[in-house]
Amino acid sequence: MCRVVVAGSNKVIEPVIEKLHELNLLHVVNYSGADETFDMGKPLGKSSEYAEQLIKLRSIERYLEITDKMPDKQFPESQVLSQMDGILDTVGNDVIATAERIAEIDNEVKIKEDQARALKPLAGLTLDMELLHGYKSLASFVGTVASPVEADVSKVSYVNEVFTSSSGGTNAVAVFVPVEKAGEVSGVLAEHGFSEVSVPGGLTGTIAGAISTLESDAKRLEGEKAPLVKKLKDIRAQHEDLILAIDEHLSIKSQKAESPLRFASTDNAFVIDGWVPTDQFEALKREIESAAGGRVQVEKLDGSEADKLVEAGEDIPTKLNNPGVVKPFELITRLFAIPEYKEYDPTPLIFVFFPLMFGLILGDVAYGLIVFIVMMMLRRKFRTPGWQSLINIVTISSIWAIIFGILFGEIFGPLGLWDYIFSGAHYTGLLGTVADPHHVGVDFGSGFYGPLGRIGPEIGSFAGGVFPMYRLATASVLVLIGVSLFIGIVHTGIGSVLGVKNELAYGEKRHAYFERLPVLLFQVFFGLGLLGLIAGGLGHPLVLLSALVIVISIIMMVKGPEGVMGATHIPFFVSNLISYLRLLAIGLASVGVAFAANQLGFYVLMPMLSGGAHDGFTTIAIVVGIVVLIMVHFINLLLGILSPFMHPLRLHYVEMFTKFYSGHGGGVEYSPFGRVRRFLRD
Amino acid sequence: MVVETITDGGVLYGLLAVGAGLATGLAGIGAGVGEQGIGAAVVGVVAEEPGFLGKGLFLMLLPETLIIFGLAVSLILMFAWTPFA
Repeated sequence: MCRVVVAGSNKVIEPVIEKLHELNLLHVVNYSGADETFDMGKPLGKSSEYAEQLIKLRSIERYLEITDKMPDKQFPESQVLSQMDGILDTVGNDVIATAERIAEIDNEVKIKEDQARALKPLAGLTLDMELLHGYKSLASFVGTVASPVEADVSKVSYVNEVFTSSSGGTNAVAVFVPVEKAGEVSGVLAEHGFSEVSVPGGLTGTIAGAISTLESDAKRLEGEKAPLVKKLKDIRAQHEDLILAIDEHLSIKSQKAESPLRFASTDNAFVIDGWVPTDQFEALKREIESAAGGRVQVEKLDGSEADKLVEAGEDIPTKLNNPGVVKPFELITRLFAIPEYKEYDPTPLIFVFFPLMFGLILGDVAYGLIVFIVMMMLRRKFRTPGWQSLINIVTISSIWAIIFGILFGEIFGPLGLWDYIFSGAHYTGLLGTVADPHHVGVDFGSGFYGPLGRIGPEIGSFAGGVFPMYRLATASVLVLIGVSLFIGIVHTGIGSVLGVKNELAYGEKRHAYFERLPVLLFQVFFGLGLLGLIAGGLGHPLVLLSALVIVISIIMMVKGPEGVMGATHIPFFVSNLISYLRLLAIGLASVGVAFAANQLGFYVLMPMLSGGAHDGFTTIAIVVGIVVLIMVHFINLLLGILSPFMHPLRLHYVEMFTKFYSGHGGGVEYSPFGRVRRFLRD
Repeated sequence: MVVETITDGGVLYGLLAVGAGLATGLAGIGAGVGEQGIGAAVVGVVAEEPGFLGKGLFLMLLPETLIIFGLAVSLILMFAWTPFA
C-alpha cells in the first residue's frame, strides 16, 4: 500500500470522481475536518434526487420482498435509464397501492376474527345484538360466569332481567339492572367469576347470525387478498433483476454524487487522500491525469510522511490476498478481525488446520460423503459470496472427514457397515475383539506407566494392518489423546512463532523475546516433557531437559514487559494445550452415538422384531430397523456438522489467535472507492 | 474385609466410573453456568453490532475449556490410571 494525495481544480472534480469510481482502486481516507484551510466538500448536483429515488425503490423492493441475489440477467445502462421512470412511477405506485391494500385487508380480517372469537361464548343467548347495549337507565353486563347468578342478582337488585345459556362448559349471561344498582351487581357478578365480553357495535340480528356474518366477511376479504398477493408475485417475477439493476445504478450515482463529502475542498480546489496498492499507483496516476486533462496532481507520499500519518492514528488498509482455494477461509479470519497491515494474515493456516480438525472430529466416510453431496447441491442454490465461502469451507472439510473416515474405519459408525462390507462376518461382542490389545496391529511398546497402546485391530483379512483404527477402542483413545496434544503443540507453536514475528515487524523486540518467545518454549517443552514422562518416568532425560527449559521460560516471562504478572498467564498456556483434547472428545461422542444407533438397529430392534433370531431377519424387522437407523444417524449427522465446525473455530480463535493476532487492535479492510457492477453491463 | 473388596477391583472400578462421570458432568454444568451470562451478553451486543460476532464467539467459547478439563480427568480415570492392574 502507498499513501496517495489527489489534488485538483473543482472544475475537473466530476471526471476525476468518475475515473476513480471506474478504477475501483483508491481506498479513500475520509477528511476529518481538522484543517482550517479546508472545508468538507459539497455533494454534486442531483445527489438528493438520487437519494429520494433510492428510498422509493427500496420501499418497492421491500413490498415485493426482493433481496440481494446473484444476477440471472444483466442490463445495459441505457435500458436501465429508459425503464427506470416506468418502474419507479407506474409499477412502483401500483406495487405500493397493492401492498397497502393487502395490509388493510389483513387488519380488517384480524378485527373481524377477533370479534367473532369474542362473541363465540355468547352464541347461545336468544338476544339480538342491538339489545345488548346502548341503554340510558339500564346497566348491561354481558359475558361468561362460572356459576348461576340469578338468585344472587335478585338479592341486590329486585328489578332485573337475566338471560342465560350454557354450551360446551361455558355459561353465558346477559344481566340488565337499573343503572343505580350497577356497582352492587358488578360485585355480585365478580364473586361468580364473571368475565366481560366487549360487544362490538354496528352489528344487528341474532348473536349466532352476527358471528357467521363476521366469519363470512373475513373469508370474503381473504378471497379478495389472494389475487393481490399473486399480482405482487407476478410483478416480482417479471421485474426482479431489473429492479436490482436500477438499485445498483442509483446506488452508484448517489455514491458518486455524495463522494465529495469525504474529500477536503476549498472554493476552487479539492484534495482526496487515500491508499492504493503500490504496484497500481502508476496506473492510477496515469488514468486520473488523462481523465482530468492534466489539471490534477497525483502524488505519492514517501515512507516517512506516511509513517507520520499512521502514528497520528490513520489505519493502513489491509487487502487480504490469498490464492483461490484458500480464499473462502478469509470468512473465518474476517469473522474475528481483519489483520492489521503489518500483521500476518492467518488465513493460510486456517486453510491447513481447520479442515484437518473438522475431519479428525467427524471422521466418517458416509457422513463425509453426505456432507460433500449436500454441499454440492447447495452450491447452486446459495450463490452470494458469503454462502459460497461457507460452502467451500465445509466441502474441503468434508473431504478430510472422508480421509479420516477411511483411517478410522467408519461408515455410519465404527464396525457398522464397514464390518459387513469388508470382513463378511459380524461379531456378537463388537468391541471385544477391538479392545483386546493382542489383536491390535502396531505396538507402541511399553512406557513408564504401562503399555503405550497400539493401533490397527485384526479384522478379517486385515490382520495386523495399521488401519482401520477404531476410535472407541482403548488403545485408539490413548493414541488420539497423544495426536490431539501433538496437533495442539504444533498449532499453538505456529501461533507463538507468528507472535514473535509480528512483534518484530512492529519493532517491539522486548515483547517479541520476553513475552512471545517464552510462551513458545513453554508450550513445546511442556509437550515434550509429557512425552518423556510417559516414555521413561521422572528420570527420563527429556523430562529433565524440559523442566530446565520451562524454568528458563518462566524466568524470561518474569523479566518481560509485564513483570511477575507475565508468569500468571502460565495456567492459560497449559489449559490451551489441554483444550485440544476436544478434537478427540467430540469425535468420540459422535462415534458413540453412531455406534449406539447401529447396535440398536442390528442387535436389538431387528432380532427383537424377528422373534429373537440373529440371522435371517424378517422384512418388517429390516424396514423398521433401517428407519430407526436413518433417523438416529440423521440427528447425529446434524450435530456432527455443527460441533466439528464450532470447536476448531474456537481452537483457532482462542488457542491460536491469542498468541499473535490482533494484539495491536484489528485492522481496516481495503475497500476502494468504486463498485463492482453485477446487474449492469456496458 | 475392606482390603479384599478393593483388591477385588469391582467396587473400586465402579467408583472410578462414577467419579469419571461426575468429573465430566459437573464440569459441563460449570461450563454451562459460565457461558449463559456471556452468551446472553454477546447476543445483546451482536444485535446492536453484527461485526462483533467473531469476538463474541471467542468470549462465549472461553469457558468451554472447563469441560475439557473434566473430560481429561475422566479419561485419566478410565483409561490411563489402573490402580488394580
